[in-house]
Amino acid sequence: MKKRVLATLLSAAMVLSLVACGGAKEAASTAAEAANTAADTASDVVEEVAEAAEEVAETVEDFGTGEIKIWVADAVVDFTNDEVAKFMEENPQYSGYTVTVEPVGEGDAAGNMITDVQGGADIYAFAQDQIARLVTAGALEEVAPENVDAVKSQNDAGAVGAATVGSTLYAYPLTSDNGYFLYYDKSVVKDPSTLEGILADCEAAGKNFYMEINSGWYQTAFFFATGCELSYETDDTGAFTKANVTYASDNGLVAFKKMIELNESKAFQNGSAVGEATNCAAIVDGTWDSGAAQDLFGDNYACAKLPTFKGADGKDYQMSGFGGFKLLGVKPQDDELKLMVCDALAAYLSSEEVQLARYNEVGWGPSNLNAQQSDAVKADVALSALAEQLAYTIPQGQYPGDYWSLATSLGDSVRSGELKSTSSDDDLMKALQDFQDTCISYAQ
Amino acid sequence: MGKAKSQTMAERGNAVANVFKNIAVTFKEGDWKTRVSYLIMGFGELLRGQWLKGIALMLCEAGFIAYMISVGRKYLPKITTLGTEVTKKVSRKTVYGDNSFLILLFGLLSIFVVLAFIVLWYVNICENREEEKLLKEGKKLPTNQKVFLSLFDSNFDKTLLAIPVIGIFVFTVLPIVFMICVAFTNYDKNHQAPTNLFTWVGFENFKNLVTFGSSGFGTTFFKVLGWTLVWAFFATFIDYFLGMAVAMLINKKDIKFKKLWRTILVVTIAVPQFVSLLYVMKMFANDGLINGYLLKWGWIKQAIPFWTNPMLARITIIVVNIWIGIPYMMLIATGLLMNIPEDLYESAKIDGANGWQMFRSITLPYMLFVTGPFLLTQFTGNLNNFNVIYLLTQGQPQSMKLVEKAGSTDLLVTWLYKMTVNNTNYRMAAVIGIMVFVVTAVVSVIVYNMLPSVKDEEGFQ
Amino acid sequence: MKTKKKIGNAITYIVLIIISIIWLFPFFGLIMQSFRSYDPAVEYGGMVDYIIPKHFSLDNYRFLFSGETNFLVWYKNTIILAVFISALQTVMVLCVSYALSRMRFKGRTFLMRFWLILGMFPGFLTMICLYFLLKEFGLTQSGAIPGLILVSVASSGMGYYVCKGFFDTIPKALDEAARIDGASRARIFLTMIIPMSKPIIIYTALVAFMAPWCDYVFASYIAFGHDMSYNVAVAMTRWVWTNDYQGYFTRFCAGGILIAVPVTILFMCLQRYYVEGVTGGAVKG
Repeated sequence: MKKRVLATLLSAAMVLSLVACGGAKEAASTAAEAANTAADTASDVVEEVAEAAEEVAETVEDFGTGEIKIWVADAVVDFTNDEVAKFMEENPQYSGYTVTVEPVGEGDAAGNMITDVQGGADIYAFAQDQIARLVTAGALEEVAPENVDAVKSQNDAGAVGAATVGSTLYAYPLTSDNGYFLYYDKSVVKDPSTLEGILADCEAAGKNFYMEINSGWYQTAFFFATGCELSYETDDTGAFTKANVTYASDNGLVAFKKMIELNESKAFQNGSAVGEATNCAAIVDGTWDSGAAQDLFGDNYACAKLPTFKGADGKDYQMSGFGGFKLLGVKPQDDELKLMVCDALAAYLSSEEVQLARYNEVGWGPSNLNAQQSDAVKADVALSALAEQLAYTIPQGQYPGDYWSLATSLGDSVRSGELKSTSSDDDLMKALQDFQDTCISYAQ
Repeated sequence: MGKAKSQTMAERGNAVANVFKNIAVTFKEGDWKTRVSYLIMGFGELLRGQWLKGIALMLCEAGFIAYMISVGRKYLPKITTLGTEVTKKVSRKTVYGDNSFLILLFGLLSIFVVLAFIVLWYVNICENREEEKLLKEGKKLPTNQKVFLSLFDSNFDKTLLAIPVIGIFVFTVLPIVFMICVAFTNYDKNHQAPTNLFTWVGFENFKNLVTFGSSGFGTTFFKVLGWTLVWAFFATFIDYFLGMAVAMLINKKDIKFKKLWRTILVVTIAVPQFVSLLYVMKMFANDGLINGYLLKWGWIKQAIPFWTNPMLARITIIVVNIWIGIPYMMLIATGLLMNIPEDLYESAKIDGANGWQMFRSITLPYMLFVTGPFLLTQFTGNLNNFNVIYLLTQGQPQSMKLVEKAGSTDLLVTWLYKMTVNNTNYRMAAVIGIMVFVVTAVVSVIVYNMLPSVKDEEGFQ
Repeated sequence: MKTKKKIGNAITYIVLIIISIIWLFPFFGLIMQSFRSYDPAVEYGGMVDYIIPKHFSLDNYRFLFSGETNFLVWYKNTIILAVFISALQTVMVLCVSYALSRMRFKGRTFLMRFWLILGMFPGFLTMICLYFLLKEFGLTQSGAIPGLILVSVASSGMGYYVCKGFFDTIPKALDEAARIDGASRARIFLTMIIPMSKPIIIYTALVAFMAPWCDYVFASYIAFGHDMSYNVAVAMTRWVWTNDYQGYFTRFCAGGILIAVPVTILFMCLQRYYVEGVTGGAVKG
């Protein structure tokens, strides 16, 4: 019942926002009607509004037939199948379409979509760092205009930013949990507030501390902590136009030295997957691994924001990092009706209700503002650690694909001992300068 | 040498001239059936009762015309530009323009089809001429049954080779020619078909390959190439000698359970590599079993970076490869060692030679002589040994000093693979692929000429 | 003299035993890990730093057969691939080898040289092209299995060296005699040469049979995300490399054992032919 009330409120709010925007005047009256039939779920209303807004469609009844292929991570294949079945039940007008869900991880999905758009999935989940590549390769369709306002108003600002390239919204936010924090074994790590303390505890217990320092994603925990900048601006085609990088600075050097120091400490291991961590007492990882982390630590399972560290300059820095998002994309179609169905389905799969259900199923943190306010989500240990960490992180914008491999090279240079604590400041600075120059060269 | 070459060139020129002469003469001297065959292939044959050949040729022509109308016409004219029509949006619908990829692929295929058709057309003319000649001399033409049966006797090679040759053409030759062409285009992540067009850029990619400096591939290419050669050398020769040593150990007269020892070793060949190598990769990880136990026993203070230190990673790979390579060599050596006549050793013993001396003067020369070609194929195989490298390190660790995701343990092929799959940088991948070919070919030619069995045919008789 | 020999033998035995231990150790580890339960109530399915599981369990094997994954489908796919590729590839190789060994025709040396040169191009280069070629025929994704068979078989004629080498050792006088008796080439090939070539046929078939079990690169490219068309290598490599599959390591080991055991047994049974083949191939190049 509660849900329905919420849905009614939501639909009313939507109508208001639509009217306010003035972008869909015709839609308003129909949408008002829709709001009256409040027995429907929120997503339904979204659809109806959507349909109403679609002038061309008027009252399209025949959406034709076809096949829709969805790619999601293996863990949510069954869940997605169930939700698709529900969607089809609620929307008999789309019954001409058969939907298949296949397990293709977010990383592979983006790669495959770029290799062969036409052979790839119609709807697919991907991590936001891929979005610029996907737009450039023509593998992402813009979000249907009738859904844009809903997506923008219902999801948190970071998620909307992540789904936007230039000034165009290209994807439906799915989760807002693609950030990282600390999982630890509370019987080993007594105080997770400083990096030095964690390392000492781990070393004393003969256990390992995991963090993936050769990843451009985790590395920023150090660099952003000391105030370095790294961001890009894009135009609407996904091309990078400008880079702001300040790694080659005193701040950068402090962060880099800490990274090197960490790498040389005995308890440190490189990695960010719980399932691959052996003898692990603490790991910097994200919510997608919360189940695995609970299995690993058992009763001693605990989460916390990232620790602070003491820099070479004697100051304390709070570790920062990226707050990232998972997105759901629709690929360009040469059949407009199919595109409408795909958009409706993607909107449904990223709706509040489904995001909540997904959280309950696999623990993925929602990007939908209302879903984030639900009690279950608020009470989640991992998500609250993430929320706490969020205050120190930077919403992840768009980065060129080359950045990630460059960052791996930087991390590997540290791990391989090419750059070590005995290296001179000049050598370290030179590496950072190279890094910065190359980063800048990616933007034309 | 130069003279011989110019001679063959002249011969070739003559041959081409002959072909044209033949075509013209046949037309002039031929009857109307032959002349019609210039347009309708197989016409002459059919009217002369050779319906088997005639129908086959006609079908070929019909197939050719059908292909050119349905496929060739669409792609062949665009091959010079690789397409000009860009992908458009019509309201929300995407209307794809020219697909450069398919234009290049089917454009090339069409060129080959046209060439094949011309050859077939010429064969058709020669057949006509041949038949006319036979009839003029008052001889009978072979019956259709005879023609058919010849496919299983005098022309059996054509029957046997038809499918393999076509298969190799479509699935090996065409793709290779295609990729060689890609090396001269700008097909990469910013020019990804079908949404974006790509086009010819000449030698730009090759220039990039030998450009040194931060953005060029030069430094990285030569570093990767260097490691590829070093790796192939060690992987081949260490395995070769150790495998031979193990084989000799097992072959020793008084050693029992020979079969058991061999079987144990051979397990590494039998178990699929993706199982065994992935497990070994995990075993040697910084937090893997080996480091775990060494730490537990207090033998080491800090984990040994088997895969993360570039030098150590290279050594570890070579060592793990021994694990895979020895059994293979052991199997080969076992049989060959037994072929060495026993009396050679006996007489050496009488002369007072010790084990090492016997090995150096009898065993080794014999083995090197006999297995020379094998060593060569092993070496070129190792140049392209994708599985071992990719399953163990994926080419890592990467370095700031290398571009395009190349790592310290990358071979040219693994680098090429990463470029294709992860970065969709096809233009440079194609260039690297051509370089792999060049390296393999050069090594093969040099080594082949050094082989004792080539230099000295009579060597060990 | 005798004691010296005895010491020598003892050392040899020790060396052989050490070698055996090194060689078998990873497999021992693999087997042990496969018995470690992934169920958190029992043990843990991720990486650990000990070999012997604390509790032996068959959970991993149960998981593979339970239908929670498509393991059985992948296994079936791989067997289909292996059987068809093995059979068709052997036929192709025999045809090519016979033609090149026994017949003399125009362009024979050119063909051999041309194929040798082709073989020097790295295979991955052509992956993307083959993918789109197969896609034109609908042989990717759900049609990936026939597609893979087609590609593997189509180019297999180039691997004729070992087999041709074997045919070359069969005296040509036999052919001549049969031809004088009026036998056609095809008859000689089918009724004389093939029955005499059992070892090389088994060798060719065995090598072809083993390859699909390890084919990761091309198979994953052609299947293009279609789970039901994966072979075991593609499907299970994900369990080790992709973060979507946390704690699947012991299940990977169990699957690895299920793959390795039948292939290994088959290999051991036919080992004799394999040795004959590689030795013959090595010597003749």
